[in-house]
Amino acid sequence: MTALPPFRNEPVLELRRATERAKLAAGLGELRLPLSVPVWVGDERRFGEELVSTDPGRPERVVAVAGRATPEEAGAAVAAARAAFPAWAATPVQERAAALLRAAAWMRERRAALAALAVRECAKPWPEADADVCEAIDFLEFYARGAIGLQHERAAERALLQVPGERNELRYAPRGVCAVIAPWNFPLAIPTGMTAAALATGNTVALKPAEQAPGCGLRVVEALRAGGVPAGAIALLPGEGDAGAALARDRAVATIAFTGSGPVGLELLRTAADVQPGMRQLKRVVAEMGGKNCIVVDSDADLDEAIPAIVDSAFHYAGQKCSAAARVLVHEALHDALVGRLAGAVAGLQVGPADDFATDVPPVIEREAQERVRRYAALAADGGTIVTGTGDVPADGWYVAPVVATGLPLDSPVLHEEVFGPLLTVEAVRDVDEAMDRIDALPVALTGGLFSRNPRTVAHVVDRSPVGNLYINRSTTGAMVGRQPFGGNRLSGTGTKAGGDDYLLHFVEPRVVTENTVRHGLVV
Amino acid sequence: MGAIASLEAEIQRVGMALSDAFPSHRANPLKALDDRAMELAAQDAELRAALFRFVDVVPACRSVDDLAAHLTSFLEQVHTRPPSLRAAMRMGDTKAGRAALGAAGAAGVRHMAHRFIVGESPRAALPTLRKLWRDGIAASVDLLGEATVTAAEADRYAGRCAEALDTLAGAYAQMSEQPLLEHDASGALPRANLSVKVSALTPLLRPAAPARGQRDAAPRLRGLLRQARDLGAHLHIDMESLDSREAVLELVLDLLAEPQFADGPSAGVVLQAYLRDSPQTLDTILEWAGRTPRAQPIVVRLVKGAYWDHEVVEARQHGWNVPVFERKADCDANFEALTARLLEARPLVRVAIASHNLRSVAHAVARNRLLGGAPGDVEFQVLRGLGDDLGRALAASGLRVRAYCPVGDLVAGMAYLVRRLLENTANESFLADQAHGVPLEQLLEPPQVAP
Repeated sequence: MTALPPFRNEPVLELRRATERAKLAAGLGELRLPLSVPVWVGDERRFGEELVSTDPGRPERVVAVAGRATPEEAGAAVAAARAAFPAWAATPVQERAAALLRAAAWMRERRAALAALAVRECAKPWPEADADVCEAIDFLEFYARGAIGLQHERAAERALLQVPGERNELRYAPRGVCAVIAPWNFPLAIPTGMTAAALATGNTVALKPAEQAPGCGLRVVEALRAGGVPAGAIALLPGEGDAGAALARDRAVATIAFTGSGPVGLELLRTAADVQPGMRQLKRVVAEMGGKNCIVVDSDADLDEAIPAIVDSAFHYAGQKCSAAARVLVHEALHDALVGRLAGAVAGLQVGPADDFATDVPPVIEREAQERVRRYAALAADGGTIVTGTGDVPADGWYVAPVVATGLPLDSPVLHEEVFGPLLTVEAVRDVDEAMDRIDALPVALTGGLFSRNPRTVAHVVDRSPVGNLYINRSTTGAMVGRQPFGGNRLSGTGTKAGGDDYLLHFVEPRVVTENTVRHGLVV
Repeated sequence: MGAIASLEAEIQRVGMALSDAFPSHRANPLKALDDRAMELAAQDAELRAALFRFVDVVPACRSVDDLAAHLTSFLEQVHTRPPSLRAAMRMGDTKAGRAALGAAGAAGVRHMAHRFIVGESPRAALPTLRKLWRDGIAASVDLLGEATVTAAEADRYAGRCAEALDTLAGAYAQMSEQPLLEHDASGALPRANLSVKVSALTPLLRPAAPARGQRDAAPRLRGLLRQARDLGAHLHIDMESLDSREAVLELVLDLLAEPQFADGPSAGVVLQAYLRDSPQTLDTILEWAGRTPRAQPIVVRLVKGAYWDHEVVEARQHGWNVPVFERKADCDANFEALTARLLEARPLVRVAIASHNLRSVAHAVARNRLLGGAPGDVEFQVLRGLGDDLGRALAASGLRVRAYCPVGDLVAGMAYLVRRLLENTANESFLADQAHGVPLEQLLEPPQVAP
């Protein structure tokens, strides 16, 4: 196999051109709904109607009808993955990588259709739906190369000390069955990423997509199987929490790759820590959880740039990204100017359906989310001042008006709990250090932002910031594979970096082999 | 071949004559000093970056101490410091030193800003505009301001534009006649001339949803067009980055096609020659002009384009084809090709050539002559503060000149200022070439397009 060309990010569509927008609209026109999503284990497909995903902007529109995987089916999926593991692990890494690259090509050929599905099933606005497809492709391309590198190119980097008479080698072996439990907010990219990392390194996978996004989960598995991943090596388990819990608990699961809420992630960590009788391997958890992401605005910030970036960070995709900004901590000298302009900018945002290119804020994912955001907005109104966020929204979907609140007391839950919706708070601080103290007091540390034009301030905040991804003078979302390896610290995650060079190390176990090369006093 | 040879010969003749008409720098020692400072900055990329970052942050600094802190912080990142900068760094160590340094830095930036910004308001700009007019140079006023992110800011900008139109129309009406500036083959030319930016007329320009910004900007722009029509003023709609080109061009052409604007005002758009697809944009404009009868032909201002770095960076970050020419010669050749098409399209359009490149300007003058146009049948535009010498040379040569004059307070004007400075010190800038003594023959050579 010839060397692969270097990784490059799949370019997003140039949507400023009408011809490119037309491609996406055509993709939506060709989308035939609802999809039927089976519980798909090996070559067995069980269709069902127990699980239904709907368009958050028009809940009466059914996007996918799926079987709801039972704990027994989860067990069967793990057993199938366990059975397929030796052969897949023994498949040369170049062949495994080639299968992922073919899966990437499969997705590339269907970019508009896949983006359209994300628009419908998860209400991702077009630019973000397109970016989600690109990121899925990026993960396949990136981890395919990374796995080859782990086995070959990078072997020299970890060369061990060698002395006469012995040969030392460090190599990586796949861990076994990986349970992938994925979220709905990047319905293609994140399940693809976690699954691709596991498969590339020789593990087999049982994938449980979010119950809100079984249709997108189906496409991920179709892509991988079309690319040549053996049927036994990737199972699809559309389902809910019980299926996920059964997967995590299964004694044959070696690795749990999870992206989602903090409480679920912590529960998975507890499950993993419980070594059950008969278990022959400690479970490892790769978890990406929530945050309470803060943007610091110092007095020398350029508000012309900060305001649009803050609006993007907090309200794109209705704030439903783990990287989304939730709090702005602004120098008191700029507070009033920032609040005034931010309120005006947010008041102009268009709340609407995801398939409208003009939409800024799409509906949130489901009724429960709508209620949660409204509950926090009410809390913010009680404890502080809502400067904008009372506008009318369409009535027929899970819409919420974007909210900006100020003047909240420091112990308000609105400043500490993850809302995961279009709600942004602004608080005045005396200086950057007061802002950093408040950030340091948080138990989570996912993303952060800073607007300052003083290099010394930038260096100081870089030193003090605990977050996994810090963004200076730009928005805090939109991490790119290979450019901004993504993941949080503290209670935000296990410190792993999706889309980074060391991510794959979490899916393998290191093995050191030392061979005595002395025979009867002679080095042979 | 004969036609091309005679065009080339004419370009050389015109270029030499224009060069001879440039005013002497010895008459203005202060300006020569400014040029020296810019040259110094041009030679060292780190120093240039530090100075630009300082210029950019000056309006946000709250005190001279704050100014000094920023200045020394930027200078820390310059590895090779001239002695003057080392002295400045030492000043940053004491409070008195910081006060002096901060004040000096702010004064320096303000001094530079005055070179580019003709006044803090249209009224304050009038003395300069009157002097330009007396010297045979018309103006287009551009109102600087912070970015528009709210509807209130868009309204405020539209209000400032309306006020500017009133002020300019009133003031220009009092000025003496300048026949060259007031007529061309298509008829009378308005004296008062305002350039506006659609991005300032709406906070809702979205690259993926042009209709949204158009809808929001339309009422404000329509109001300004009506006012310009009633005052007999010219309204020029500037072009910005490619992100908003579709929105801006469609909006302007749609509004100008409304029956209420058939008899006026005089209005214009911008064509950016650095865009690879600018010939297709010109097709769109000419096709529109052909089917949209208006009393006053639309003015097309041909520029190279001021967002080159932005376009390249954005394309590279997204993995897109770079939409601009990356070789200067390709851009120059396209500029000449578009010049030719525009001049030949008259009287469907009026043509304004906005370039500081002597070759591009000489080419337009020569081609206009060969097409039988009178000197006043094509306009030349220069940037205040940057193309002053060229503007005077053109005016002295009997050509029709307009200076693009930024108006606004220095704080709001900073972003603009920085971009002008960047352009001035860019490696391939004609002005820089000229300053470094590149021979005239070389400056006037035809652009060598890649095969």
